[in-house]
Amino acid sequence: MPKDGIGASTKRREDLRFLTGKGRYTDDINIRGQAYAHFIRSDVAHGRIVSIDTAAAEAMPGVLRIFTAADFAGVGGLPCGWQVTDRHGKPMLEPKHPVLADGKVRHVGDPIAAVVAETYEQARDAAEAVVIEIEELPAVVDMKAALQPGSPLVHDEIGSNLCYDWGFVEENRAAVDEAFARAAHVTTLDLVNNRLVANPMEPRVAVGDFEAHNDQHTLYTTSQNPHVIRLLMGAFVLGIPEHKLRVVAPDVGGGFGSKIYHYAEEAFVTFAAKQLKRPVKWTSSRSEAFMSDAHGRDHVTRIELALDADNNFTALRCLTHANMGAYLSTFAPCIPTWLHGTLLAGNYRTPLIYTNVKAVFTNTVPVDAYRGAGRPEATFQLERVVDKAARELGVDPVELRRQNFIRPDQFPYQTPVAVVYDTGNYHATMDKLLEISDYAGFAARAAESQARGKLRGFGVAHYIEACGIAPSNLVGQLGARAGLYESATVRVNATGSITVMTGSHSHGQGHETTFAQVVAEMIGCDASQVEIVHGDTANTPMGMGTYGSRSLAVGGSALVKATNKIINKAKKIAAHLLEAAPEDIELKDGKFTVAGTDKSKSWVDITLAAYVPHNYPLAEMEPGLEETAFYDPSNFTYPSGAYGCEVEVDPETGKVTILSFTAADDFGNIVNPMIVEGQVQGGLAQGIGQALLESAAYDESGQLLTGSFMDYAMPRADDVPFFQVDHSSCTPCTHNPLGVKGCGEAGAIGSPPAVVNAVIDALHRAGMTHVTHIDMPLTPSRVWAAMNA
Amino acid sequence: MTEVSFSLNGTPVHLRDVAPTRTLLDWLREERGLTGTKEGCNEGDCGACTVMVTDARGTRALNACILFLPQLQGAAVRTVEGLAAPDGTPHPVQQALVDHHGSQCGFCTPGIVVSLAVAHAAGRQDHDDVLAGNLCRCTGYAPIVRAAQAACAAPVPDWMREAPPAVGRRIFTENSSFWQPESGDELAALYDAHPGATLVAGATDAGLWVTKGLRDLAPVIFLNRVADLQRIELQGEHLRIGAGVTIAELRAALAPRFPALDELWRRYASEQVRAAATIGGNIANGSPIGDGPPVLIALGARLHLRRGDARREIALEDFFLAYRRQDRAPGEFVEAVTIPASAPNCRAYKLSKRFDQDISAVCGAFDVRLEADGRVAAVRLAYGGMAGTPRRAPAAEAALLGQPWGLPAILAARAALAHDFTPMTDLRASAAYRLTAAGNLLIRWHHDLARLPVHVRGVQA
Repeated sequence: MPKDGIGASTKRREDLRFLTGKGRYTDDINIRGQAYAHFIRSDVAHGRIVSIDTAAAEAMPGVLRIFTAADFAGVGGLPCGWQVTDRHGKPMLEPKHPVLADGKVRHVGDPIAAVVAETYEQARDAAEAVVIEIEELPAVVDMKAALQPGSPLVHDEIGSNLCYDWGFVEENRAAVDEAFARAAHVTTLDLVNNRLVANPMEPRVAVGDFEAHNDQHTLYTTSQNPHVIRLLMGAFVLGIPEHKLRVVAPDVGGGFGSKIYHYAEEAFVTFAAKQLKRPVKWTSSRSEAFMSDAHGRDHVTRIELALDADNNFTALRCLTHANMGAYLSTFAPCIPTWLHGTLLAGNYRTPLIYTNVKAVFTNTVPVDAYRGAGRPEATFQLERVVDKAARELGVDPVELRRQNFIRPDQFPYQTPVAVVYDTGNYHATMDKLLEISDYAGFAARAAESQARGKLRGFGVAHYIEACGIAPSNLVGQLGARAGLYESATVRVNATGSITVMTGSHSHGQGHETTFAQVVAEMIGCDASQVEIVHGDTANTPMGMGTYGSRSLAVGGSALVKATNKIINKAKKIAAHLLEAAPEDIELKDGKFTVAGTDKSKSWVDITLAAYVPHNYPLAEMEPGLEETAFYDPSNFTYPSGAYGCEVEVDPETGKVTILSFTAADDFGNIVNPMIVEGQVQGGLAQGIGQALLESAAYDESGQLLTGSFMDYAMPRADDVPFFQVDHSSCTPCTHNPLGVKGCGEAGAIGSPPAVVNAVIDALHRAGMTHVTHIDMPLTPSRVWAAMNA
Repeated sequence: MTEVSFSLNGTPVHLRDVAPTRTLLDWLREERGLTGTKEGCNEGDCGACTVMVTDARGTRALNACILFLPQLQGAAVRTVEGLAAPDGTPHPVQQALVDHHGSQCGFCTPGIVVSLAVAHAAGRQDHDDVLAGNLCRCTGYAPIVRAAQAACAAPVPDWMREAPPAVGRRIFTENSSFWQPESGDELAALYDAHPGATLVAGATDAGLWVTKGLRDLAPVIFLNRVADLQRIELQGEHLRIGAGVTIAELRAALAPRFPALDELWRRYASEQVRAAATIGGNIANGSPIGDGPPVLIALGARLHLRRGDARREIALEDFFLAYRRQDRAPGEFVEAVTIPASAPNCRAYKLSKRFDQDISAVCGAFDVRLEADGRVAAVRLAYGGMAGTPRRAPAAEAALLGQPWGLPAILAARAALAHDFTPMTDLRASAAYRLTAAGNLLIRWHHDLARLPVHVRGVQA
């Protein structure tokens, strides 16, 4: 095995450029002659645009043009990539989403007009001279209020704020109700999954360029999926065919979901560049990011668990209101439905499950996927209600989980919510967690805390997620308006080095390192001989990009397929040169040998022969050594894990301190343990941020109250503990060639319920059994208020 | 003359016709093409733009997004591009970040690298404090902290020790868009002649007037080269703190005398902001939620103001007239503040959602002097976040004065706070919370002086 093959904690090749300031991010790209765009955004949550007077502003220095909705009359709106059908068989309500607000503004931050000028400062100055008259309308922020008769309508033309009323599995509804009627015990919990802002450190940027001589558009953008942007923007918004549109997403400074979507600013700069015959650049300020990047979560849920007299789960019922915000972001409708409802079995054998999701329009920023997307919401409610049930029944929360876990011998396991888990061993991850977190020693530690006047608690959560999205034919049936395969081209160069073009996109995940490890392992070459190219539609095959922990499971599988094609062809060339049968050729450590002989050819002998085909079976094979493969998965992958959190609560102030956090995950096979650990730690920090600090807050009039890093509390270094992570409990995925499951979101999924369970545990141990739930974030004031209620 | 001279990654830079509020970040990225330094927020919160600045005051990590070019006169600036050895050998911090997987998306990384390199040069081991001004959304910080720990053992590379360049004295004209006086006298004359000018010290707030408020501050008088305002002097039983002393310098100077107040200064914004912000700016700016004034008021600080040759001295609390309105005449500036050289009973407490780099919901600072019989001879209770200005609590003070020091008197003072303040409700806290917490801080103070366990880390709200 090469030293940087599969399983090695290879140091990242990306790092040196990032650490020396040589990364090339979108805002680092400047095109000669570029002009600058500045968006004028609504400062009210809901209003009718009465007039826009640009005359004075247009006369200001440096102004090239001011655009309003009228300029986009001949252009499509921003499309939604997923259509959900409601429980009555009707398609969701799908309001228009114009590039610039047309007639009405619907949230604070909704773009109304855009000024393009010679300099950024001139654009901003001119924006202040644009006179916009808005007749302010009553805004609706609360989801349940939005569904009341007489509520203000976010979109008048669709007649309702209810986007869809989804039931799953609708046919099970009566059976679930019946199971609840028969239950020996029912646990009910009302909870909120708090609205979050992804806040990648790099704000969004878009640069549009147009070359008149060949009618070619280029968009440089901060995207997790440049091909998807090319498809959506080209086909649905601007009407530009793919061969005339190139989308480049260079180094991207984090995404966490928020850079999946096609945003208005991307379409704007592409459109304006052609109109003005100038490159046009837009760079989001952090303030704009807070009010224009899609937000995440924001579910209000009632979850109910039915148990029989032996504490077996017999049914689960979930009623969720999911906030869509003012418009449908690209994949918004699928988050509370297919990425949420299908995970409600969790790790348990619950036989009957019914979910009802009401998706609601409000005068807030659109909500879409954020790290985990639907699965954190499912895990949170499930792991909270199981914990609550254990307390009500007076049984150990760990034991109640164990009793109801799907057993290792039951895989593949068909859940009642459509999906089939291929592998897993939840007892093993739970055991591992208890072992490495020293659960046995908890009582002594709790006594020590008590002696100091502090309340110590331990909380567990066991999660499952569906990653590697997804079989295209399946998601097509579920409403996806895209396929979800992935692609790779492996180009072996004449002198043996290898260039890989992948449709996946790396924005922190380290693909340039791990994908090279996979190829190095298969070929037996040094990883340094493999270059990974991504992020440019001009030189990579059509790909669906990176989100949902899919890159290695789907993109890596495409890479394996393409590399296998390379190996097969290389063996044929070797067979020709060695005068042997192809099936007798073995490839090991970068050398082709005829089995059982000492006859061999080096890797370079073969690659040279492919490109200098003097001695080559030209009648049977084409020269060259380049292969492309597309991989469409046959199932999701199902990473799972047990998370444990130990906290101390200050009874005087309600302040929660995390003393330790332990994660025992099953990610299947692992290519680079160092990077996997990094992904888990980063996910945990975001999950702990959600649990203790973060919340996007609106006031009643729809003003965003948390619009800067001073108001939206992201964790800083001393807010986050050192974590213990383990991934030794491994059940490889059975249906992809690498046996991998995905690890990018796990930390953010499993940690919020573990933290909340730990705090509730601490309070219960101190006798405060009246506290059955506290909504996140668990700020000292909320914990204190709950303790003193 | 609007020239600025400094060195950038070891190379001399001489700029002409510098706009006074051109930020270092924009200049680096737009004019020098040095795009390693990143803009993550443009308001000094995220640290992605952190650069290393060495001048007569030492080496500091500063936020380039709110650092105006004239502030660099005579400084040596090093960006992320200038941290590796000339032969390309990575700085020990860079290597440690590779070894410990301290970078994922790479966007915050340049700022993290510079923050850690500056701390490494100073031998710092308080890594969480060093990083309090750097947000990272990918790594969860632990790998970065491990890298910082690992790098501690490596010697400071030679190329990190550089002397600031020698610069000549510049001559400014009447029509300059900025001036940069080098003494208090020069400043007094200039400001008297140009009372409409904007005084800029550390620019940690004035920077945002430009980057967020889009204001034109010109003409500007930069205070960072007024050396005689940057001293801390012991004068008998008082410390005279020049207005140009940074919070970091103040913290270092006060730590041995007021160890109990160090927590407050540690939580004052972040490393980068403390290294730039001055105590004079913090006072003159008059924010109702600045963390400096309450503690200074509790200490009985006297404020020294100067206009031309005229000087006057007032109690600090009398300086704050109303929300964002201070007792400062046109052309008058804060010269210094004096505080007692010791105050063993003074304590200060800050309540905020997050420990580091967060705006106070309430900040309370208290001092008391007791008679021999244990009665309260003098007391000063000062609060930030409770009104439109930092203010004392006269009713609560009256409730304590003359009473035997103890919990009953403290509880009476707590009850009296309702007569002193009608706080507002906002995102950070409700009025009721503020009033309750402000009162409870008095109890904490009592317990603190009684040596019961109260650590400021326990009182985050």
